[in-house]
Amino acid sequence: MASAIRRALDAVYDLAAMLAALCLVLILAVIVLQMASRWTGIPFPGSSEYAGYLMATASFLAFAHALNRGAHIRVSLFLTALGPRRFWGELWGLAIGTAASGYLAWYAVRTVQLSIKFNDVSQGQDATPIWIPQVPMAAGAVLLAVCFADNLITLIATRRDNIRASAIEDAAE
Amino acid sequence: MEQLLPIAIFLFVLFLLLGTGVWVGLALLGVAFVGMELFTTRPAGDAMMTVIWRSASSWTLTALPLFIWMGEILFRTRLSEDMFKGLSPWMAKLPGGLLHTNIVGCTVFAAVSGSSAATLTTVGKMSIPELRKRNYPEKHVIGTLAGAATLGLMIPPSLTLIVYGVTINESITKLFIAGIVPGLVLAGMFMLYVVAVSRFSPGYRPDPEPPMSFSQRVANSRFLIPVLLLIMAVIGSMYLGLATATEAAAIGVIGALALAAAQGSLTWTNFVESLLGATRTSAMIALILAGAAFLSLSMGFTGLPRHLAEWIAAMQLSRFELLMMLLVFYIIIGCFLDGISSVVLTIAVVEPMIRAAGIDIIWFGIFIVVVVEMAQITPPIGFNLFVLQGMTRHEMSFIARAAFPMFLIMVVMVFVLIAFPQLATWLPDNMRPSAAG
Amino acid sequence: ETWDMPMAYPATNFHSENASQFAACVKEATGGALDIVTHAGGSLFSGSDIKRAVQTGQAPIGERLISAHANENPLFGVDSIPFLATSFADSDKLWAAARPQLEKVLADQNLVYIYAVPWPPQGFYFKKDVNSVADMAGIKFRAYNAATARIAELAGMAPVQIEAAELSQALATGVAEAFISSGATGVDSKVWESLTHFYDVQAWLPRNVVFANKDAFDALDDAAKKALTDCGDTAAASGAAKSEELTAGYLKTLADNGMTVSGPSEQLEADLAAFGTTMSDEWVSSAGEDGKAIIDAYRGQ
Ligand code: NA
Ligand code: NA
Repeated sequence: MASAIRRALDAVYDLAAMLAALCLVLILAVIVLQMASRWTGIPFPGSSEYAGYLMATASFLAFAHALNRGAHIRVSLFLTALGPRRFWGELWGLAIGTAASGYLAWYAVRTVQLSIKFNDVSQGQDATPIWIPQVPMAAGAVLLAVCFADNLITLIATRRDNIRASAIEDAAE
Repeated sequence: MEQLLPIAIFLFVLFLLLGTGVWVGLALLGVAFVGMELFTTRPAGDAMMTVIWRSASSWTLTALPLFIWMGEILFRTRLSEDMFKGLSPWMAKLPGGLLHTNIVGCTVFAAVSGSSAATLTTVGKMSIPELRKRNYPEKHVIGTLAGAATLGLMIPPSLTLIVYGVTINESITKLFIAGIVPGLVLAGMFMLYVVAVSRFSPGYRPDPEPPMSFSQRVANSRFLIPVLLLIMAVIGSMYLGLATATEAAAIGVIGALALAAAQGSLTWTNFVESLLGATRTSAMIALILAGAAFLSLSMGFTGLPRHLAEWIAAMQLSRFELLMMLLVFYIIIGCFLDGISSVVLTIAVVEPMIRAAGIDIIWFGIFIVVVVEMAQITPPIGFNLFVLQGMTRHEMSFIARAAFPMFLIMVVMVFVLIAFPQLATWLPDNMRPSAAG
Repeated sequence: ETWDMPMAYPATNFHSENASQFAACVKEATGGALDIVTHAGGSLFSGSDIKRAVQTGQAPIGERLISAHANENPLFGVDSIPFLATSFADSDKLWAAARPQLEKVLADQNLVYIYAVPWPPQGFYFKKDVNSVADMAGIKFRAYNAATARIAELAGMAPVQIEAAELSQALATGVAEAFISSGATGVDSKVWESLTHFYDVQAWLPRNVVFANKDAFDALDDAAKKALTDCGDTAAASGAAKSEELTAGYLKTLADNGMTVSGPSEQLEADLAAFGTTMSDEWVSSAGEDGKAIIDAYRGQ
C-alpha cells in the first residue's frame, strides 16, 4: 500500500516535470514564431503574454521534481554541524518548508478564485481570462506543498527523506 | 532611528531561516511574510500572489531558461569540450593558464545574454569539469567564475541596465554602449588577478598542457569554429535587428541544437537530459525569484530602503563622499536584496541626489551595475552563489569566500570608474547610432 | 492613518509629482490624520497590478493608465479611441461625457474614483516624410495593444509587437520603424537617435485615473473623504494644466534635437479622421448601449 502511494506520487512529480519541460520547448516555439511573424508581417498577437504564461507554468510544475532532485538550494552548514542529530535539523527544515509551501499553495489557489470572481482579463493583445494560465501555477504550488509534506512524513517514518541531489560531476563523462 | 526595529527583525528572521537550512526561496518568502504581518495591515497572502504571478509570468524572464538550456546542450554534447580544445592551446601560454577561459568565456557570453545567472551556467557547465580534470585549484575555479559571470550584467545586453534606464528615463542604447569599455576593463582586471594568483599562490599547480607548435595551435583553433558561429549567430541576430535581446536566446538554443546535430553528438537522451536539467535549474531560480519578489514588496511597504536613502540624502555630502556613502549603502542592501530590487526600491530617492550633485546619470548607471554585480556574490543572498551551489554542491560559505577577491576587485573597479569617468562616458558621447539603424 | 499609494511611472514623471502634491494636500487638509505615501516607478506594485491590488485592498489607493484595462471592459478604453477626440478640449468633453458611467463601473469593482489626468496627446513617429496614409504602407509599426494593431491594419503597416522596455533597442536596430506615442515618450527614450519625423496628430489623450479602495474609503470620516475629493479636484485641474504645458515643451525638445515636428498634412488629417469614424463605430459595437450613449453625448456637445 505504502509503496503504491510512493510510486504514484513519484509518477505525478515526474509527469509534472515532463509537462514543465514541454513548456520550455513551447516557449522556444512561441519566440521563434514571434520572430517569424515580424519577418513575414503575419501578426501573432499576444505572443509575449503566451511566452510569459508558459514561463510561469514551466517554473511551478517543476518545483516538486526539482525539490526531490535536490535542485532547490539551501545553506547546509548548520545541518552538517549537527552531526548525528542532523535528523532534527532536517525535520525543522521540512516543517518550515511544508508550512511555507502550504501557505503559497493556499493563496495560489485563492488567487485563481479571485481572478474568476473579478473576471480579470490579460491586459495584452491576447485578452486571456487570467485564471486560465494561473491554474497550472496553482497546481504546481499545490504539488510543491504535497511534495514537502510527503518528504516530512517520509522523514518521520523512515528517518530519511526522498531528496537525492546530483552535482555537476555526476553528469560529466 | 525608528527603523532599527524593522531592520533587526528582518535580519533576525532572515538569518534564522537561511542559517538553519530552510530552502532559500521559501526562507525569503518567510522573511517577507513576517515583515508584512508586522508592519502593514494589508492582506499578505493576496499581495504575495500578485507580485509572484507578475514575476513568474514575466516575458523578459523567458530568456533565462533558454540560455540555461543552451548551456546544458553545449555541456552535454562535444561542443564544450571542443571549445576547450580550441581555446586551451592559446590560454595555456598565459601565466595562470586555462583559468583565463573562465573570464574570456564569461566576457564572450556576456555579450550574448543579459543576465549573470545565464552567463554563469553556460560557461560554468563547460569550464568547471575541464578545469577540474586539469587540477586547477577549486577555489580559484569557482571564485573567478562567480566574479566573471557578473559581467553578464555590464556588457550589453543587460537586464539591469534596462531596468535602470526605464526607471530614470535615460536612453537604454546609450547605457548599453556605456557598459562596453568598463566591462572589458573589469574583465582585464579579473585576468590580472588570475596572473597574480598563479604567481604567488603556492598551491597553484595545474597539470601542464602538452606543448604545441604554432601551426598545431592554429589547427586546433578549428574546434572553436562551431562555438564562434553560435555566438556570431546570437549577437548578429540582435545587431541586425532580426531578434530582440530576449529573442536572441531562442536563436542560441536552435543554434546549439543544430551544431550538436551537425557534429553527431545530439542524441535523444542528450536532448531530454539537457531539457530536464534546464527545467530544474530554472525552477530553482524561479522559486528564489518568487521569494525575492515578495521580500521586495514587503520591504517596499516598510519603506526601509527608502528611509535609508533619505537618511543619506539628509547628510548633504560632497560628490565623492556621496558616492562612497552610496557604495557602502548598496553593498549592504546588496547583501540582502537582489540587485534589481535594490535599484527599483531606492532610485526614486537616489536619482535626485545624483542629479543635484552634478553626477552624470549614464555614468552612475555603470556605477550601479558594478554594485549590483557585487550583490550577486555577497552572502547571504547572492544569486551567483546560489547558482554555483546548485551546480557544484559546494557550501555557500566556501563559494562566498572563493568569490571574495572578485568582490574586492569590483570595489577597486568603482574607484577606477571615479578616477577615469571617461571609461563609461566617452563611447556614448561619441557614438550616436545612426538614424538608418 | 497611512495609505500606501502604488504608482507605475518614475518619480520625476509629472503624474507622479502631481500625486505627491495631492498627497501633501490631503495631509494638510486632514491635519495629518490621513498620510498618503506615494511609491513611484512600480516600486510597490507594477502598473498592470495596481488596479487589482486596490480592488482587493492590497493597497488602499493607486494610479493606473485606465485604458490598459479595455480588454476587461471596453468602457475603460473610452479615452483611447484613436482620432475621435483630438485635442485637450475635446478630450475633456469626452471624459466629462464618460465619467458618470466610468465611476459606476469602478464602483462595481469596489473602487472609488478620485481624479484623472490626461497624458500629452499621442502622435506618430516615423523615419521619413508621411503626408497621407498611403505613405505608411509597409512600414514596420510598433503595435502594443489591440487599438494600435488595428491602426497598423487600417493603414496597411506591418505591426511588430515590441514591449516598452525594448522600444529603444528595437528602433535602433530597425526591428520597428514607427510608433505612436506621446511627445513625452519620444523625449524619454531619446527617439531622435533613431527616427526623424514627429507628426502631432493628437490621436488620443489617455488618462491616468487615481482610485481608492471602497472599503478603505468608506471607513474614513467625512472630513477625510472630503479632503480626498477636494484635493482630487485640485490635482485633476493642476495635472491637466501641467500636461498641456509640457506638451509644447516636449515637441520643442524633439525639434531641438533635430527631428522634424509638424502637424498632419490636410490629406493625412482627412485619412485619419476616417479611421476615427471607423474605430469609434467599432468601439460602440463592443461597448454596447452605454458606449453609444457616451459617444452620442460627446458628439451632441
Ligand atoms: Na550581457
Ligand atoms: Na548579495
